[in-house]
Amino acid sequence: MEKVYASALERLLSQGVKEDALMKNLMTHLKARGRVKLLPAILRSLKVAQIRNTVTGATVEVARKEDAAKALSAAATHGITADKAIVNESLLSGWRGRSKGVLVDQSGKRALTDIYQRVVKV
Amino acid sequence: MDSIIKRIEKEIADFAPATGAEETGIVRATGDGIAEIDGLDKAVMTEMVLFDPTFDRSLEDALKDADPVYGLILNLEEDGVRAAILGDASRVYEGMLVRRLGRLLSIPVGDSLVGRVVNPLGDAVDGKGPTKATKFVPIEREAYGVMDRAPVNVPLHTGIKAIDSMIPIGRGQRELIIGDRGVGKTTVAIDAILNQKSEPEESRPICIYVAIGQKESKTAKIVAQLAELGAMEYTVVVTAPASAPAALQFLAPFAGAAIGEHFMDSGRDALVIYDDLSKQAVAYRQMSLLLRRPPGREAYPGDIFYLHSRLLERAAKLSKEKGGGSLTALPIIETQEGDISAYIPTNVISITDGQMFLLSDLFNKGMRPAIDTGNSVSRVGSAAQTKAMKKVSGKIKLELAQFRELEAFMQFSSDLDEDTKKRIDGGRRMTEVLKQTNGQPLPFEMQSAIIFAAVNGYFDAFTPDETSAMEKKMQEYFLREAKNVLSGIREKKEITEDLEKELRSALQKFVEINKGA
Repeated sequence: MEKVYASALERLLSQGVKEDALMKNLMTHLKARGRVKLLPAILRSLKVAQIRNTVTGATVEVARKEDAAKALSAAATHGITADKAIVNESLLSGWRGRSKGVLVDQSGKRALTDIYQRVVKV
Repeated sequence: MDSIIKRIEKEIADFAPATGAEETGIVRATGDGIAEIDGLDKAVMTEMVLFDPTFDRSLEDALKDADPVYGLILNLEEDGVRAAILGDASRVYEGMLVRRLGRLLSIPVGDSLVGRVVNPLGDAVDGKGPTKATKFVPIEREAYGVMDRAPVNVPLHTGIKAIDSMIPIGRGQRELIIGDRGVGKTTVAIDAILNQKSEPEESRPICIYVAIGQKESKTAKIVAQLAELGAMEYTVVVTAPASAPAALQFLAPFAGAAIGEHFMDSGRDALVIYDDLSKQAVAYRQMSLLLRRPPGREAYPGDIFYLHSRLLERAAKLSKEKGGGSLTALPIIETQEGDISAYIPTNVISITDGQMFLLSDLFNKGMRPAIDTGNSVSRVGSAAQTKAMKKVSGKIKLELAQFRELEAFMQFSSDLDEDTKKRIDGGRRMTEVLKQTNGQPLPFEMQSAIIFAAVNGYFDAFTPDETSAMEKKMQEYFLREAKNVLSGIREKKEITEDLEKELRSALQKFVEINKGA
């Protein structure tokens, strides 16, 4: 039940409903239904959702700093819109981006790992 | 060296980097072979996922441990999924990236699997290198419908007299082998595989032996026995040993069925042995409990019946339009203290088309195979029995049942009339005739001739104690002196009047030679 409330709150906030009105209506509703005791559980669910959004938030990694702009615009074409690119030298070349469970990996490391696995598997 | 250089050059030349977006999730928690994964909103049931150990490591570290770990999605939940880890679960860690593979769990199938030992994912485990199978099929598939099937009417000979005469099996049938541990269930199944060697190559079924939760030493022994007797030429072994993750033990029978279906779909006959489904049920129970599914009777999940029914429904005899192939299933169930009314045994008894019940009491009395003829039945196999066998085996079951009754009576009655004594002796002789050493299946024409001799009183000239030795002598005698009778039965699949005359005269001679010897 608390997850349903939490996801409804999340959705309404993302639709632009004002926080004050949302909070007031929520409390009125919970009191009317005798469900005020759900409030701590709803809070926990919202916190989990917040952490999940942070973890699955948009990130773009590049192998070299100078590729950042190019990588950000390439990532945007896949719907990954990040403010800045993080340098990750282990990628060797190229970039990779993640957002809400979607991964686009165009790094040299991925390419080499794929080749290695195919050669070793045969 | 040249070869590897060329291969790498080719891979680099052919390489097209993945440019598309992939759906990924993150391992939230893992333990006991189950991973809880956050994300993967669009994943579907029984889809394969890849736990990527290379994602957050440097290339050097990634290549040291680049073997992928696969998972199988078994629970779709509100905010994530739960997957069974199909491999080394210790390599899966919290925060690990998981990729959707977009395909249901599939295994490679093909003729190149014959003679090989593979795991439930189709990877070779016999040290002979990878298999050459390239066609992938999902391991879970809906069984053929009514219109695609034909009646079961072709016999599948096991080479065991007691089975082929009283509990005949047809191609496409599901016949359960049930009994306590150590009563010879696997032996019956292996003998059935060995006997297929005597079948003509064009109609010889491809055999698939699925070892579930067995000791690896036992499976190795079986493979060695099959290889030694030339049976690996037409056999595939699928093994998920006791040390394998529960997920692989649960999947092994489905993999065996998928391999068998490949042969059935190509118009051939296949025989699959699930050794044993009790262990698969236990593995499935373990997984279900770890997946937090509600436990039912004996803590098995609610869909334990469906697990076995959907597996065994895949056995079929296909119609001519579908190629006429067949998949015969011999599932094995282990009972505790002979209790066939326990949960899993009753489930599987009700699903299958009959059962052979092996009794430890009979086994201890030296009856091999220790088949309890009273509780064993074949519901469709008699339609597939050859005329020869039907003719000779008509009354055996009834006679043996009467003998068992009298045998019990004999224990507390010292004074027996002549007729009862005769019946008891007849029953003892028949019991001796039906005894058979393991690993020595008999072709059906030999079985028919011996049972003909038994039911027509040709063993009456000998005492019950002599019967077993005489039966062996009779086999040798037939091979030496009455080869034409055997080949006649084999060819015509029945004992015609002429053949019966020849058979009677051969048996008469045998009795004359051996009486009082």
